[in-house]
Amino acid sequence: MSATPLSTLAHVVRSKNAGPTVLTIDIFFNDAQAYARAASSAQLSEAAVAALYQRAARDVRRTLLPSIQAMKFSMPRRICAGDPGDGDVYGAQQHAALLGVAV
Amino acid sequence: MSATERLLRTHRPADGPLRILAASGQLGYGIPAESLEHGVLRQPHFIGCDMGSIDPGPYYLGSGTMAAPAAMVRRDLELVLVAARRLDVPLVIGSAGTAGAAPQLDATVDLIRAIALDKGLHFRLTTVHSDLHPDQVLDALARGQLEPIGPMPLPSAADVLRCSHIVGQCGTETLARALQTPTDVLVAGRACDTAIFATLPEMLGYPAGLCLHMAKIVECTSLCCRPSGRDAMLAELSMDSFTLESMNSLAHATPASVAAHALYEQADPLEVDEPTGTLLLHDARYEALDAHRTRVSGAGFRRRARATLKIEGAAPVGERCVLLAGVADPTLLAQLPQALATVEHRVRQLVPGAWAFHSHIYGQGAVAPLPRERHSRHEAGLVLEFLAPQADLARTAAGVFKQNLLHLSYPGRVSTAGNLAFAFTPSEIDAGTAYRFVLYHVMHEAPLQDIFQVRQHAIGIRH
Repeated sequence: MSATPLSTLAHVVRSKNAGPTVLTIDIFFNDAQAYARAASSAQLSEAAVAALYQRAARDVRRTLLPSIQAMKFSMPRRICAGDPGDGDVYGAQQHAALLGVAV
Repeated sequence: MSATERLLRTHRPADGPLRILAASGQLGYGIPAESLEHGVLRQPHFIGCDMGSIDPGPYYLGSGTMAAPAAMVRRDLELVLVAARRLDVPLVIGSAGTAGAAPQLDATVDLIRAIALDKGLHFRLTTVHSDLHPDQVLDALARGQLEPIGPMPLPSAADVLRCSHIVGQCGTETLARALQTPTDVLVAGRACDTAIFATLPEMLGYPAGLCLHMAKIVECTSLCCRPSGRDAMLAELSMDSFTLESMNSLAHATPASVAAHALYEQADPLEVDEPTGTLLLHDARYEALDAHRTRVSGAGFRRRARATLKIEGAAPVGERCVLLAGVADPTLLAQLPQALATVEHRVRQLVPGAWAFHSHIYGQGAVAPLPRERHSRHEAGLVLEFLAPQADLARTAAGVFKQNLLHLSYPGRVSTAGNLAFAFTPSEIDAGTAYRFVLYHVMHEAPLQDIFQVRQHAIGIRH
């Protein structure tokens, strides 16, 4: 099977703060097949996503939600929301790095 | 008899479902009036509105000002006040004025008084004050009772004393205490979003897990629908399930859209910590009643012996001046970080003092890290922040930086007339006091009764 960008397998890829210290990313897949493919992909393991976001692997937690064909990643924010130097107070644009991940 | 007393005395879960109308998840940005009216026609037993959160950053808690425009806050408050008084049902508002600190609660109450006067309304208002005295936090710090949430350091005593406002998030345990007093309208300072919608149902005997699950979904009104929106949302709660229905007939609560909402802004979608315990969503079920409504059941709840308290505090970090400019020259674009470093070095010699500099280079990784090969060579936007103890110093550093960057000579420069494009002048703008979160901690063994002061006010009633 050839690699497909995540953006074509999912209809929602979003990021947001879960409180000012934690970033959480939700991915909702188009169907059960897309979900299964993503859930078993090494590119969407905790380690791979940690590398993508330049975090330690132990800092990224993945939750699989097969019943709703969704996947969640939570990780500490690099900087507390709104601290001087922060570039995304709501954390709402941190999803973009995932869109091109080849699954 | 107050609206709350009547509801608590007369409604029995066995008589039929409890209708909860969530009017706004963010009061002050324009409640869709038509959907609210549809909700009112369904004769809800009470109306709830969320007015804030910590999401907009530390400025609002720090400054004590509202994020939403005052004129729109007044418009929205008027809509919900008039609706609740017309039905004579309780109105519960949480996180008054964005962050729920004392000045924001006061500003909200002032608006309510003005609306009541204008509309000839009279009612019993109960307020819950959520502010902590720094000594209460210092005591907890000294006793080792502060626990960071996420990667937040423990504050020093000086950090705590620098906070301009410290609030605690009250939960159902506190709002229940407030709602036991004769109340038509409840306005809480900082409150858990869920407490706004779950407290009255819990007081009526509905299972806590269901109440909190329902509250967690409706606190964002129709955000849980497809297409998502900001329209009022109706929940009909029974002892074993609740039904969700948007008051906009074009926004549909589907099993998928509602289940998806459980993930929203939540690090763990299956176990959600609330002050009084943990909401357990492992066995939650979502079933379509029809194309527009979804029935939800299965939430559990693990109550803890003593309610916990989440506290939030923000402290000033200086006065901020922001310089805005664009760059389109490809040679300069290829060496922007070095150019900024060179100019910063020069300005530090020209403008001594404790000013801090933060650059945001849009098009070159300001929002998220971007590999150098993907940096924009077409144009970039510069948002340059200057923070200093005095606004004058921040402004001076920004002004001198602007002119030195405008005329910086760099290798390969051909545009010797100027390096920056300004959309307008002045391009350096005072952005007021900057704040940062110092406290985002759980405070164990907190004296909730002392912290959350419940007060009663007669609005528009002559004594």
